Formats: sequence, C-alpha cells, structure tokens
Amino acid sequence: MKCHMRANHLSEDRLIELCMLDTASSAEQQHLSTCTRCDARRARVQRLLADVSDSATADADAAFPLERLNRQQARILARLQHEGRPARVIAFPAGHAPHEPIPARTRPASRWIAAAAVGGLVVGVIAGRFGHDYTFQRAGISRVIASRGVEQPELRAPVTTTAIREVTATISDDEFLDQLETAIDAPAAAALQPLDDLTPLAWEVR
Amino acid sequence: MSRTPPRRAPAPAGALAPQAPLSKDSRLAGEIKHLVAAGERDAARERYGELVANQQRRAVRIAYQYLRDAHDADEAVQDAFVKVFTHIISYREDLPFEVWFTRILVNACLDLRKSRSRRLRWAVPMSATSEVAPAEPTAPDPSPEQRLVSKERAAEITTAVDALPDRQRTVFTLCHVAEQTTAEVSQALGLSEATVRVHLFRAVRKLRRVLDRT
Repeated sequence: MKCHMRANHLSEDRLIELCMLDTASSAEQQHLSTCTRCDARRARVQRLLADVSDSATADADAAFPLERLNRQQARILARLQHEGRPARVIAFPAGHAPHEPIPARTRPASRWIAAAAVGGLVVGVIAGRFGHDYTFQRAGISRVIASRGVEQPELRAPVTTTAIREVTATISDDEFLDQLETAIDAPAAAALQPLDDLTPLAWEVR
Repeated sequence: MSRTPPRRAPAPAGALAPQAPLSKDSRLAGEIKHLVAAGERDAARERYGELVANQQRRAVRIAYQYLRDAHDADEAVQDAFVKVFTHIISYREDLPFEVWFTRILVNACLDLRKSRSRRLRWAVPMSATSEVAPAEPTAPDPSPEQRLVSKERAAEITTAVDALPDRQRTVFTLCHVAEQTTAEVSQALGLSEATVRVHLFRAVRKLRRVLDRT
C-alpha cells in the first residue's frame, strides 16, 4: 500500500485527496479517529473547500436568478431555430416587390464596354507617353543641330547617331532655354501665335 | 450548511469516465444526435431544450467562475450550447456528454476572455466619457445560505481564487465547482490525470495559505 503518512501523520496532499477525490483506507480512517491533529487539519481543508464552493455557487446563482436562466434558455432555442436557415433578404429599394427578379448587377454588354474603356485608357497612356518622349527628343535634336548649324556649317554634314546623342547629353538648361527662345522667334512659330493666344497661361490658372 | 448538491462518490484514481455507466444527459444527447441525423431537426431542438435545462445551472457556474462577469458568462454559455447543437453529429456516444460539453464551454470562455482583453486594450477610459455603465442585474433577496457566508469572507475567497494561475483555477473550478472527477477534467482539458492532480493540489495549497492567514 502506498504510504501517505509522514512522521505518523497524513500528508497535506493526502488530506486534500481525501476531501476531494478519494476515500480513506481503513488504516487512514483508524488514524484519523485517533489523531486529533490530523482530524483537525482535515476538518480545516473541508471547511475551506466548502467555503470556496459556497461562495462560487452563491455568486453565480445571484448573478443568474431563475428568470435570467429562463431568458437565456429561450435565447438559445431562438438562436437554434434560425440556425441552418438562409438569411432573410430585405427588399431594396423599398417599393421593390420581393418576388420581382432582381436584375443582374453586371450584364455582358456593360462588361465589354468597361473592358474596352480600360483598354483604351491604357493604350492612350502608353502612346501619349511614348509619343511625347519621342517628339521631345526629335525636336531637341533637330533644334540643337539647327542652331549649331547656323554657327558651325560643318555640322550640316550628315551626323551619326552617336554624335546626336553626345550633343543632347551635354546640353545645359540655359542652352536649352536659349534654343527654345530662338525657335519661338523663328517665322514658323508665328503661325502658332493665334493658338498660343487661346491657351491660358500656367500662372493664370489657379 | 453547504448549498452545493451532495458530491458524487469519489472515483477511484485513474478510473476513466467512459467505463462508468453513461448519465441520463449522455443518453439524451445520443437521442438528439440520432434525431438530427434523421433530419428531424424540430424534434431534436425540442429535446435539446431539456438538455439545456439540465446542464444550464452547472454551465453558468463554471462560466461565471471563469469570467467573473454576468454578461460575458451569459454569452459564453449561449455560444457553447449553440455550438453543441450544431456539432451534435460529432458527439461520441461512448463518452460522457458532460465532458464534451465542458470542453466546449471552457473554450467558449477562453475565447471570450481573449476578446474581452482585446476590447479593454482599445477601450476609452470611462473617465473620458460621460456614459454610465449599464447596471448589472440585481440579485434577488439573499438566501439564508448566502447570509451564512459573510460578505467579507466571500470577497476574500473570490480574490484568492482569482489570483490562482489560469491552469490551476480551471482545474480547481472544474473539479470543485463543476464537481467533475480528475479523469473527466483530464479528458476535458486534454491533460494527463497526474497533471490535473498536481494543479489541483497546488491550487488548494495556495488557497489554504492565503485564506488561512485571513
């Protein structure tokens, strides 16, 4: 038999076991009937456990009187009644009869139109950007060549691509603005003057 | 003096719950399971009302001991009962219903505690708002048993139990308040029975140290 006695007294764990989980063996019973110290210890543990139990149940029972338990039960059963059923659909707009077929949110035709619009937008953005870069570069190069050509006739000779790249790469902001002014003063730009008059200036637009 | 129902005869150490004859509620749960399986949901719901009534008091005691808040305990118990019904098909009839239900209930309480701590982390302090907290439902007149335990003593006990580490408190609550055997608690919590006993002994020793001093 497992020994639960320490110095002829029951260990604390054994006393707890006896109060909560287990029954005393005959030897333990005999000891408890003769040892007042162990019997008192056991009584203390029992009292403590009873106090804790009473306190716990009293707290819970006070918080949950019978009416509240009944309400809770009704709520549980009500929740179960809705369990597994599809959710109710509220008609919208309010005048809409629930039996009327609701039109599909997206139709094939509108989907095609939307796709075409998106496609067009993407192509437009790419083409715009590419076209802008391309024309800017071409204009820059031709202007550079044109202005230099006035001062340096040797540049009128066929120019290699490498040379053009070198010219455009080395141009400073001031040089570029000078060239721009020269180009605007050129007679060809006069044709664009009416169009320029129609266009609002950046600092006028707020 | 004690208002608790008489304790069940202590189960011999190591005895597993399934070996004992199944309780009335376990048989009832089996019946409900068969009704649901046969597609008779209305009949199953009706029978389930009985099961709820049988287990409800014990469930709210466990949940309240865990959460210490009547609204949260109410919610946890409702969630647990709803979950049990929706998963009744997976109930193993060879096991006690109480163990299965307790496991679901404890998980519901843990979920609620987690969400409550999350809520508190983000909550605006009460001093910042002018709103008054909704009043807790008032208890009816204290019963004679309640009067026996003084308010101060009850507060000391509550504080001492609340101060226990989570695991110890759970084991103690299930063993002592829910009156489950260590074998049932070990099944419900997924711990070995020896671990359950260790937690239980530590919890009682701690309570004794605190409460014997006061």
